[in-house]
Amino acid sequence: MKTKLLVVVLLAGLGAIDRPSYAHHGAAAFDMSKPVVLKDATVTEFLWINPHPLIKADFKNDKGEVEHWTMEMGSTVSAQLIGWTRTTLAYGDVVTLYVWPAKTKLPVGRFNKVVFSDGTTMRDTQTGADDGGRADTDVRQ
Amino acid sequence: MRNSYVGAVAGVAGVVLLSALVTAQNTQNSAPKSPWRYYPADRAVGDGGPAPKRELSGTWAGPSSGSGAPRQKGEVVPPLTDLGKQLFARNKPIGKFSPGGTNDPHSRYCDPFGFPQNMTQEIRGMTIVTTPTRTFVLLQYMDLWREIWTDGRTLPAKVGGRDRDALDPKYNGYSIGRWEDDYTFVVETTGLAPETWATKSGYPHSVDAHVVERFHRSSMNDLSLSIVMTDPKFYTAPFNLGEVYFRWVPNQQLDDFTCIPSEQQLYLKEMGDPAGSDPNEQNPQGANRGRGGRP
Repeated sequence: MKTKLLVVVLLAGLGAIDRPSYAHHGAAAFDMSKPVVLKDATVTEFLWINPHPLIKADFKNDKGEVEHWTMEMGSTVSAQLIGWTRTTLAYGDVVTLYVWPAKTKLPVGRFNKVVFSDGTTMRDTQTGADDGGRADTDVRQ
Repeated sequence: MRNSYVGAVAGVAGVVLLSALVTAQNTQNSAPKSPWRYYPADRAVGDGGPAPKRELSGTWAGPSSGSGAPRQKGEVVPPLTDLGKQLFARNKPIGKFSPGGTNDPHSRYCDPFGFPQNMTQEIRGMTIVTTPTRTFVLLQYMDLWREIWTDGRTLPAKVGGRDRDALDPKYNGYSIGRWEDDYTFVVETTGLAPETWATKSGYPHSVDAHVVERFHRSSMNDLSLSIVMTDPKFYTAPFNLGEVYFRWVPNQQLDDFTCIPSEQQLYLKEMGDPAGSDPNEQNPQGANRGRGGRP
């Protein structure tokens, strides 16, 4: 509960702080109108790399087929400031992932947020808001 | 109207409260602090008093540092010559074409930005070191340094070309510096490696471009940098590359942040290339991909 409260406070208060962002590229390659929801996906790899950390996860669709997804986050340095570390996600974690999908229709996308099994939510720094915008209002480029 | 007013007051109060909570949390989390770590939330307060005369030495936080440095002013592009237009048309910047469609040598391969782009892109931390005959600018992003001679020499007359005594172009060119007044250090640079882009947006420069930087320290804690490039081969007027603002870093410490080729290739393979480029843009994935600006 304490962790959840801390996350909520940090997210809500992000307007009060600046953090480094990786203005690496825009979101033109992604469909930002509606996120894909990968319910009960299993994390297969969490790559804490530049220019963007990658989350890889397997998701079983309605047909019972396993889709292998890869999604990118904002940047390591900005994610660190809202509580992310290289071990926030790990192999075998079962989570629900929200992803802005690539327009190529391949199973890749821009990360929006993750909901853990205990209900805790963690968001992306740059496209973590529910409308695909920043999860805060005052981030320097 | 009343509801709007009440809402606005509540909103401001909420921000103030949350700011206090975040500050309190930061304070709580950061004790004891390590002298080896960069803390973006720890910021210089106010202007810190008058700037010391003819002194820029120290570590500064730029607009991408997360430490509250003001946003930088963007470039103002002058009309291009025909040759400049041709070169610019070959470049596919990442902002428009995404990682999967760009041919930006840095975005694809971690190739050096080169000067002057490295003074306007990814401006996180910067340290300036002054010696009697040289000033060094050390940039956090890509762990690179620039060398600015202050011993009275002039810029080299011949860089590149066919003469045997010509110097080789360099990623950061050849730089000389002088104090214009007690608070403004002016740097002139030429002899730039022509394969690099002048800006992230893909504007080119030639080896003969002449770039003038003005580092102006307006107070103890505030430093600004304006950059103007003159390159008649590609532009019909001086190119204002913008203005970057820096703030003094209290503990003078910076962290690592760099583009790592192996990680970049992994990212492009797993994510950037499959995501492709915006189909509405002109560059389908893979078409004409190559090292931008390279013949």
